[in-house]
Amino acid sequence: MNRAGRPALIGAAAVSYVIAAAALCQAVDVQVTTVRALEHGPSDAQLVALRPRLRRLVGYRSFQVIGQEKRRCAWQEREAFDIPGGRLLHVEPRGMRDQAVVMRVALLDGERTLIDTDVRLQNRGVMLFGVDTDSRVPDGALIIMLKAEE
Amino acid sequence: MTCGDVAQLLDAFVDAELPAPTLLAVARHAGACPSCDVAVRALTTLHDSIERTAREDADALDLSSVWPAVEQSIERGESRRRWMRRAQRVPAWGLALAAAASAFFWFQAPAPLPAPVHVAARVRPNQTVIERINSDSPRFELRRERKLGTTLIMVSTDGEEISR
Repeated sequence: MNRAGRPALIGAAAVSYVIAAAALCQAVDVQVTTVRALEHGPSDAQLVALRPRLRRLVGYRSFQVIGQEKRRCAWQEREAFDIPGGRLLHVEPRGMRDQAVVMRVALLDGERTLIDTDVRLQNRGVMLFGVDTDSRVPDGALIIMLKAEE
Repeated sequence: MTCGDVAQLLDAFVDAELPAPTLLAVARHAGACPSCDVAVRALTTLHDSIERTAREDADALDLSSVWPAVEQSIERGESRRRWMRRAQRVPAWGLALAAAASAFFWFQAPAPLPAPVHVAARVRPNQTVIERINSDSPRFELRRERKLGTTLIMVSTDGEEISR
């Protein structure tokens, strides 16, 4: 490349970098943790702190992590998280309001929409989705923990 | 003293500028010489006439408005000099005033507002607001834990009663 074209290339690279950085800044970290809840059995170490809360909410005694995924999601973009057992969790962050992440969340089981909701979750907060009497979790339930952090 | 000497000294004689002996000598000659006497008298008459005219012109001058005008001019000049002196002092004075005003407004700047008092319940770490919810499942439940505000949306896939 000749010397004349080099500054233009550097400028274009800088602009691209800035745009990419800006796009990354305009995003939210979404973490989806799938937990199998059972009546009996040990609980995962990473869930020890959550166990009393899970027990009160879900009603089971044993909690084991069966899947975890964290992804940076752009605002207004729908992301699909695979849930063990063949389900999908669609998360679409829409914006921040009063220190809370506004998003649309849909839990799909094939063609069936188990849950389709618009929620406002406190930034860095956790909310749960549960699937009870699940044939894929005999004698237990599937719990999906959703955490969003701007 | 001859008539020629008198003609040379005539102006000085009329103006009384000659020494006393010369003055007497010219006067004696003019007293004895009719032509020089006529010349002296003519010049003296002219001298008196000029003097009288000058005095009349001087008397006719109105100087009453001169001093007020002079005083006004002096006052204007003095006033201008005073403003110039003030203007020369302005930079330091202005800087001092600006610094004082800045300091005043700096210290008068409102202190950071205190954190708003939340009359409503405090925001809990996991607080969730459900703005809309739909489900194809005939049964779903919304459960909420009080301490952290954790929310669980529980759904039954087979439409059966949620067991827990």
